[in-house]
Amino acid sequence: MMAPAAPVIRVDGVSRWFGSVVAVSDVTFDVTPGITGLLGPNGAGKTTLLRMMTGLADVSSGSVKVFGQSVRDNPPLYQRMGVMSEHESVYGFMKGREFVRMMAKLHGMERIDEAVDRAIDLVDLADAQHRPMRTYSRGMRQRMRLAGTLVHDPELLILDEPLNGADPRQRVHFKRLLQKLAAEGRTIVLSSHILEEVEELADTVLLIVNGKLAASGEFHAIRAALNQRAYHVKVVCSDPRGLASAAVGLSSVDAVHVDPDGGVLILSRNVLDVQVELPRLAQAGGISLRRVEPLDDSLESVFGYLVEG
Amino acid sequence: MGAVYSLTLRQLSGKWRLVIMTVLAALPVLIAVLMLHSAHASSVKNFEDVVLSTMLAGSIAPLVVLAIGAAAFANEVEDRTLANLTLAPIPRWKIVLPKLLATITIAGPFVAVSALLTSYVAFLGDARAVLAVTMSALVGVALYASAFVWLGLVSTQAIGLGLLYIVLWEGFFSGFVSGIRLLSIRYYAIGLMHGLDPRRFATGNNVSFGAAIALCAVVFAGFLLLAVRRLRRMDVP
Repeated sequence: MMAPAAPVIRVDGVSRWFGSVVAVSDVTFDVTPGITGLLGPNGAGKTTLLRMMTGLADVSSGSVKVFGQSVRDNPPLYQRMGVMSEHESVYGFMKGREFVRMMAKLHGMERIDEAVDRAIDLVDLADAQHRPMRTYSRGMRQRMRLAGTLVHDPELLILDEPLNGADPRQRVHFKRLLQKLAAEGRTIVLSSHILEEVEELADTVLLIVNGKLAASGEFHAIRAALNQRAYHVKVVCSDPRGLASAAVGLSSVDAVHVDPDGGVLILSRNVLDVQVELPRLAQAGGISLRRVEPLDDSLESVFGYLVEG
Repeated sequence: MGAVYSLTLRQLSGKWRLVIMTVLAALPVLIAVLMLHSAHASSVKNFEDVVLSTMLAGSIAPLVVLAIGAAAFANEVEDRTLANLTLAPIPRWKIVLPKLLATITIAGPFVAVSALLTSYVAFLGDARAVLAVTMSALVGVALYASAFVWLGLVSTQAIGLGLLYIVLWEGFFSGFVSGIRLLSIRYYAIGLMHGLDPRRFATGNNVSFGAAIALCAVVFAGFLLLAVRRLRRMDVP
């Protein structure tokens, strides 16, 4: 029997605090090749964790190892890593190509022009490469920064909120690019506060809430758990009492309440069932649905459920 | 190192910064011309005290270098672009040293030309005196640069702290408390100037030539090492 491959990143009991504020608390996980999504609401500690994983910030306790080596104060390791921070700041006076070229030089590349051409083609920005970066849109800046991150062909990519500012077309391109890079055997860690974004890309998910690792593992198992949680939906319709009596008969509905303002509040433990059955019930009863509003579909409530669960 | 050096040259060559430095560098020349044409011609000692020591070495040179040196890292920290450099597989000294050299490259010519013209006007073209003043001014630039580049890494208030240092330490205390001169870049530069042309400049209560050379080397290397250490240990934004 073969021994399991060593993790590319090992985060072991890592904590980080700033004065009395604990940003990350005793987090332990391994990252293996493929795409890993670091998911959590804003302020959950994702960026602090990523910064410790890249060596940009020190840990207060615990250890981070990348390719078996301590990542902090270990510049040679960056030959194998590509890191894109969440900040969109660029050297505005530089043309896109100059930036990628500088990154290639900093990484000691030999065939610089070849590497720069390849990286810029990957992000599909050849047409804009000779423009100063201050003239770029947010999405273009992100893509040119990604080109700078990819120019030395790293084995490990760590990307903090990489889809920020990207328009829908750019998102599709970006997702395809990451999938291609992962299929080539690279390890990619990307953070996001948007569930669907990670769902489409990541094989494995790390859920961070209040600086703690709330859940980790294969995405679909976590998603299934989410679908079983208590879920409130507010419905505004032409016949609140009629819809309430029909909905109470559904096996997935735990409670129904008609608000004094005419809204129907449904509590269910099966989101998918409610999504499918509600329009059917309305149609059968000749009821017009004016508004269907999930009351606790925010990412924070999802994380809250997972943590409490 | 070339990539960091050329990046820093471009970052620090802003139009307004260069205009301010030109105005500052022109001041000692202007004062020298006025003093020369004044009805009460100054003695060499008086000229040295007012123009070369207080103004050039103690004010203009540090102000010009502060405007450049403090920004070498502070701009990157403020703009959050420093990670582009620290996430590269290069030792930290290869980031600090080119930033320091770029600071000297930009500030050096302004201060050197100012020192050269000021001394040329004041000493009527005496080559040795002109060389002594210009060389010591350039060394002063290098020392101030090492201090202010480090300061830009340590504090987000580098300009304010640098101004306090220039006014209080180099300008006030070192002029009154002679012991402080051993810890004053201004007096290292003056000590070098005296050593390079003892014929022209009177010896006084200054740092000796030998001590000035040794202290210059210690200060330059010391701040360089402190900056490298800081960059290795800091949390990069």
